[in-house]
Amino acid sequence: MSTNARSRMPENGPGKPGARKNTPGKGASGKNSPGKNTPAKNASGKNASGKAGARKPAPRKNALTERQTPWGTITFFAVIGLVAAVAIGFAFMQTRSSADAGKIAGLVSKDEPGREHVTTSVKYDATPPMGGNHDPVWQNCGVYGSALRNENAVHSLEHGAVWITYRPDLPKDQVVKLSAKVGATAYTLLSPYPGLDAPIVLSAWGKQVKVQDAGDKRVDEFLRAFVRGPQTPEPGAPCTGGKATA
Amino acid sequence: MTAAGTEAEAPPVAPRGRRTAVLLVVAVVAVAAVLYGWTQRSGRPAAEGPEAGFARDMSVHHAQAVQMSFTVRDRTQDKAVRLLAYDIINTQQAQIGMMTAWLDGWDLPKTDPAGPMRWMGHGGHGAGTGTGAGAGAGASVPADGAMPGMATPAQLAGLEKASGRPAETLFLRLMIAHHRGGVAMAEAVLGRTGNAQVKRLARTMVEGQRAEIDLMERMLTERGSPAV
Repeated sequence: MSTNARSRMPENGPGKPGARKNTPGKGASGKNSPGKNTPAKNASGKNASGKAGARKPAPRKNALTERQTPWGTITFFAVIGLVAAVAIGFAFMQTRSSADAGKIAGLVSKDEPGREHVTTSVKYDATPPMGGNHDPVWQNCGVYGSALRNENAVHSLEHGAVWITYRPDLPKDQVVKLSAKVGATAYTLLSPYPGLDAPIVLSAWGKQVKVQDAGDKRVDEFLRAFVRGPQTPEPGAPCTGGKATA
Repeated sequence: MTAAGTEAEAPPVAPRGRRTAVLLVVAVVAVAAVLYGWTQRSGRPAAEGPEAGFARDMSVHHAQAVQMSFTVRDRTQDKAVRLLAYDIINTQQAQIGMMTAWLDGWDLPKTDPAGPMRWMGHGGHGAGTGTGAGAGAGASVPADGAMPGMATPAQLAGLEKASGRPAETLFLRLMIAHHRGGVAMAEAVLGRTGNAQVKRLARTMVEGQRAEIDLMERMLTERGSPAV
């Protein structure tokens, strides 16, 4: 019966491309369907019949060849698989450790084409604004106890700063926490902002995320991703030497 | 039947084949580990490593030197002090650009919200840390994690208010302290990295700022102020 199985393959294989996969079923019901062939096929198992049957008919022939479990092939593919797994894992770790903005939940991104310097007040379509025309003088980075003028703060966003704003009723301990963070992180501003629809809002040029709590991990994620980040329209520009008061 | 035969016959052969397979797998893992370590070390520094920490913190440190230099140029007409300030502005601003380009190239954040100086104060757990402690760590990492030699906001405000000779001497004293802190940071990274690009810039910082400290000491004396 081994012989039968073997000789059947060449007929079915080239003739019907689909036949190879379906060998057990087709074989049983097809032209070569002697009753005794079917059990053998089935006995060889669902997995074995497809691979070993199709690829290597020879091992079935006798004890001598059957002994040759294809360790070489197994090892070969195992090694390839491992190398691929290591490479993929490595690439994954690389992207993970990078300044990755993609995973920040609730991140809003927006095109901000306006970059004119204007001395008049500007109507922004986001609260707080996350880009647009702005005052010629940028707001210096640092911690402020009162609200800032949008037009100056937006200029700092253009220079790569992150502006952290909070609702004036934010609990004191959270304000302290944010102040410490901004004090220790270059290119960040902190100020209260009346009328926010969330307790804390972080803004960079064209980027914004709203959080409920100063301890939210997205605060750090946002800072890592956007302080002098790839969204910066004017990389290298300063966050000192501008307007120093609110 | 055939299948049963295959399964039955397999075990006797297995030990030899399996040993080869296991050896190969071990070899592959070892090669991968070595490659990974090598890449981490020289190719692409880690976000928490000394190279990235140095690039981030030294950028902030340099930015303050640039700021103070601009201030003193507004506060005095003294040619020597204005020229020194001009030199510091251009050199350190250009170096900020280099370090920023490293971080861009490494695809790493420009800031560490966990705080500055962690790469230096805590020694880090990256490769090549062993020799670092002696080099510069002793040179004062302030307890609050602030960078060594940085002027306080009050000192900066004082410089902005002063003018003429007092502005010059205050600037020189602040900048000497600032440079000493900068030298300590640059020495610290030299003891912690094998990255040639980082080592080269750090070395030039150590040498350049040491020479400027000597110059500023002389300038203080010339202005009738004791060296610091």
